[in-house]
Amino acid sequence: MKKEFLARILVILFILIAVAIPFAGQWLFSRNRINTIELHARMPENGGWSIERIDAVVDEPIHLRMTSDDVVHGIAIGKSDLPGVDIYPGEFVETTFVFDQPGQYTFYCTRWCGPNHWRMRGTIDVSGEGRPLQPEPQPLFVTLDIDIDSPPIVETVPTEQVSAERGANFASLLPTYAIDRTTYLSTSPAVLWMRLRAESALFSLSDQDIWDAVAWIWQRQTTPENLENGQRLYAENCAACHGETGKGDGVMVRNNPVWDPGNHNMDKSSGSFTGEGFVRPRDSSDPKNLLGTSPALLEGKIIRGGMGTGMPYWGPIFTSQQIENLVSYLFNFAWGFTPNENLD
Amino acid sequence: MKLPLPISNLITFFLQWIWLFVFVLSGLLILIAPLPQSSRTPQKRLIRIEASSFQFTPGQIHINPNDEVTVELVSMDVVHGLSLDGYDFELKADPGQTVSATFVADKAGVFRFRCSVACGNLHPFMIGKLQIGPNQLIIRGIALLILSIVTAFYSVRQIPQLQTRLA
Repeated sequence: MKKEFLARILVILFILIAVAIPFAGQWLFSRNRINTIELHARMPENGGWSIERIDAVVDEPIHLRMTSDDVVHGIAIGKSDLPGVDIYPGEFVETTFVFDQPGQYTFYCTRWCGPNHWRMRGTIDVSGEGRPLQPEPQPLFVTLDIDIDSPPIVETVPTEQVSAERGANFASLLPTYAIDRTTYLSTSPAVLWMRLRAESALFSLSDQDIWDAVAWIWQRQTTPENLENGQRLYAENCAACHGETGKGDGVMVRNNPVWDPGNHNMDKSSGSFTGEGFVRPRDSSDPKNLLGTSPALLEGKIIRGGMGTGMPYWGPIFTSQQIENLVSYLFNFAWGFTPNENLD
Repeated sequence: MKLPLPISNLITFFLQWIWLFVFVLSGLLILIAPLPQSSRTPQKRLIRIEASSFQFTPGQIHINPNDEVTVELVSMDVVHGLSLDGYDFELKADPGQTVSATFVADKAGVFRFRCSVACGNLHPFMIGKLQIGPNQLIIRGIALLILSIVTAFYSVRQIPQLQTRLA
């Protein structure tokens, strides 16, 4: 009788253990995940990031467990050089961010996930002790008071292919202001060309010679590595709208009409969420467009975005060095220089 | 009563049914005979495929065997891929970043190419067709169909004669 009682107790014990195992496992699992944020990425039309605001504390790591609900997405932190993490549908990927400075950071989607891809942005608020994020110095277009929406003024364009190598021959003839960096930043190639044309010292040079010299001035402000970085940034972030060759014929804007000042209609508000009234970006390979813009103006356009044209604002995403590289690369379209083909 | 199986009977039986053997043999011939290879010289081709959700444009491509094909994959909305059945060939393109790769079409036949990156609900149905050389299956199929129609008509003509002889 005692043995049977013992056996019954044992059976009940085993049943209890069997029932408890899944619960215990779940409890252990959730304890490991206590600091993990599960983040779902969806196309902006379907809701974008499942969490758009993350609160964090300085030096405390944030574990993110991410997956995509539809297409390939990616995540990266704006204004940092950390490479992005790709998020594939059906797979979980984990990553950890640690912030050592309090402030507001932007996280954004890094892979094109539709025409509204750039709307996939969220913020990370980092609080706590420490030196706060340095506020960016005011961009040059603000301090110089450049109207970045003014149409470019280009009176003459190069008649043949410019060559920075040829332009280097005239380096010794150029006045000092021409090779100054502030002149480069604040002046458009067309304006600098007009100033140089008016110089009496350069009277012997032909128009084309001066264009070559201007191209050389533009080229010496950057390095091949920076240009390569600019090319990569352009391909990843800009080419889908502005086109791989800068013609403004990217895949995302293919159905939009070409910009034409004649059909500009103030009654129709452009920039609605549906994209109605959007036009294609301007053709950057047309020297009449880009040669009339200064690097500071281009930087301003990139930081601020297109204000209702569908061009996103990249201020919270790119570092100033990245924007500078991008601007240097953009002028290659105007000069007609071919990009580096061997870039992957 | 002994079984009447003289040689002459066998011969007449064989002669009566020889048309059927001819038809069966020609049917087998149609099925397995090698078709003459096209004598076109292989050429280099550049094919630009635009991938959008959820289709390839063009979705049907016809090339000749041994062509050197460069495929340019352009993604129109989200990240798409292209992987070709039967060949070790795969591409992956982001919007704004055209990718291209080259392969030699040394295997003839009809191959499907599929999107290799999950691109949404209908991703599994994003399929295109690459036809290398003539479509042998359809040629053989049509030939077999014609043969079977001819056989049918012939047998209708043959069988009443057969029946009267047997009676």
